[in-house]
Amino acid sequence: MKNLSELTRRLIVAQVEFVLVGGFAAVAHGVTLVTRDVDICCRFSEPNLMRIQTALADLHPVYRMRKDLPLELTPEICAGLKDLCLETDLGVVDCLGEVLGVGNFDEVLKNSIEIELPCGHCRIINIDALIIAKEAMNRNHDRITVHHLKAIKKQQSQN
Amino acid sequence: MNQDKEFVLAETSSAYGAADDGIDLPLLMDSLAMSPWERMQANDDALNFGGSLRAAMIKRNEKPK
Repeated sequence: MKNLSELTRRLIVAQVEFVLVGGFAAVAHGVTLVTRDVDICCRFSEPNLMRIQTALADLHPVYRMRKDLPLELTPEICAGLKDLCLETDLGVVDCLGEVLGVGNFDEVLKNSIEIELPCGHCRIINIDALIIAKEAMNRNHDRITVHHLKAIKKQQSQN
Repeated sequence: MNQDKEFVLAETSSAYGAADDGIDLPLLMDSLAMSPWERMQANDDALNFGGSLRAAMIKRNEKPK
């Protein structure tokens, strides 16, 4: 059973410093396409990475590219990480150090908005930056997402 | 009867018209009426429903004829 909302809630409750990006951010903005993973851009500091590990600890997190390797972060491992792609019992979480077309975590943070969820406040990449990121990725589903995001912007400007 | 038929056609024509642009506008408007959290949970529901459909298809295709 996938539960991307619960994954997001856990990151918020664990006070992970992150911005929601990618398809799930598009969903939060109103896109009606279904996404299968949670993409976050986060600060790749050791304390923050340890908070991610704690948040997901009981969900059997493994590296997405090496499913035989459980997530067991150490200060040495943290120091060498730029991305962290994880598979958990509730779904995939991709932790990115930067977003193509937008920049590193601080740039993404500048281009984010805060939304209020039942579990707390969550920062989410703003719609303009998400369009830029999706256009930079330029895969088929990114182009469709951009089409939806632009339709949402048009609807919002009319209201 | 004709009135009902016209109503249905009018409803579907707007949906098809929206589809020409690649966007199902009524669906998008429903989404925009929800909160971000509701949209995220709707995604989870759709994801799991899709997963259960795929599992059912696999199970069906495994059955001997």
